[in-house]
Amino acid sequence: MTRLTDDVPHRHESFLRDYGEKIVEVQDETRTPNTSLFTFNKEDHTLGNLISQRLHKYPFILFSAYKVPHPLFSSFELRVQTDGSITPKEAVLRCCQEIVEDLHKLKGKFNTEWAIHLAKQQVDEERRGREREQF
Amino acid sequence: MDDDLLPPEDNGDLQIAFIEASNERAHFVIKNSNLETANSLRRTMLAEIPTLAIDVVEVLDNTSVLADEFICHRLGLIPLSAKGIDELLYSRDCECDGYCELCSVVLTLQAKCESSDVMKVYARDLVITSSRGNQQLGNPVLTDPDRLGSCIVKLRRGQAIHMRCIAKKGIAKEHAKWAPTAAVGFEYDPGNRLRHLDYWYEEDPKKEWPVNEQHLNMDGVPPQEGEPFDYDAVPTRFFFDVETVGGMPPDEIVTKGISTLQEKLAAVIQELKGGDAGDNLDFGGAQSPTMNGMGYGGQDAGYTTPYGGGGPSATAYGGATSAYGGNPW
Ligand SMILES: [Zn+2]
Repeated sequence: MTRLTDDVPHRHESFLRDYGEKIVEVQDETRTPNTSLFTFNKEDHTLGNLISQRLHKYPFILFSAYKVPHPLFSSFELRVQTDGSITPKEAVLRCCQEIVEDLHKLKGKFNTEWAIHLAKQQVDEERRGREREQF
Repeated sequence: MDDDLLPPEDNGDLQIAFIEASNERAHFVIKNSNLETANSLRRTMLAEIPTLAIDVVEVLDNTSVLADEFICHRLGLIPLSAKGIDELLYSRDCECDGYCELCSVVLTLQAKCESSDVMKVYARDLVITSSRGNQQLGNPVLTDPDRLGSCIVKLRRGQAIHMRCIAKKGIAKEHAKWAPTAAVGFEYDPGNRLRHLDYWYEEDPKKEWPVNEQHLNMDGVPPQEGEPFDYDAVPTRFFFDVETVGGMPPDEIVTKGISTLQEKLAAVIQELKGGDAGDNLDFGGAQSPTMNGMGYGGQDAGYTTPYGGGGPSATAYGGATSAYGGNPW
């Protein structure tokens, strides 16, 4: 059996959370009003960019950005500041829920279009077949 | 193909138009979406859709010229059918010791050369020797005309190999052999109107960087010479070209990619919501990625449907057993 040396992280460490490890930890930032720091464990740019960029589209967001503190540790920090009409946590929650809804629509659209395109291709195929027979 | 493939011009609603759909490829454009969603979808399709690949090999005999680990590595990379992979457990979530029929598929490779000709051992020579949920899961993908699959080793007279290969469920974040896609083509703004690209060139970037005309035609009016730069413009159309390795049809890769992303977000939603509720949060632990999201199936309309139904019925919250260990399927 190959032994990885201690300083090489195991391959699954980039996505498998330890026992009891949280996905998100929320910490209030006291230096600026209505600000929270979210630490996402075992997540990467896939969620970091998705959430931070989407938050920019809400009028109640004053600041939203993420960083990956260290390339060898699979976590990212998301900092969110709102105008006070909604807490940063509620904002992130709403953002995630709306992305899920959008993705649901996307999946529906994809499935319909895929089926339509396949049907079209089949019709074309049959027509070509008939044309060949005529010659 | 042509512009006429696209539905009548948009009203700002999300749209999808196909350029090509086949057993190997899904080439389509998403309109009225945004860069962060499109890119996250691309990333999930590449790295986080569970598939099946050979993970452990018991070498019973190997007198070929290739070293054991060399052949094992090759075996790992052979594409296997991932049909019904959702019903297979991750080995680490399974209660068994090592591997069992709930969390693995066993393939046996046995060959001996007895003629004076060189014998080639192909992927099709992998024989399933365990029972499984359906008759396709774990079958080597054979797409060449002769249905041989890839060549694993060559044997001379008297040489033999005998290996028990244990295929397990995994994701490409752990090892690229679990990637369902051979490639995901991804492009937006083919005319570089937004100037997200600053082309390197020898003499003339226009000559040295051929434009994808097909995509350009589908991306609205092509950029004009000397047109003023729009500082507010953002990309809205995204061209995807998903090519499968063979274990999973391309449309399934896309829908599974979307579902996987939804599950990731659902896990976040659940935790943010549950945070206030106190210590009934204890569903965490060393779970596999997809299991984390499964719990989310709350009362809220809208985002419940996508993965609430169909999948495993146990919720991490309600069905306390599902957290881990127990078989939630
Ligand atoms: Zn098992």
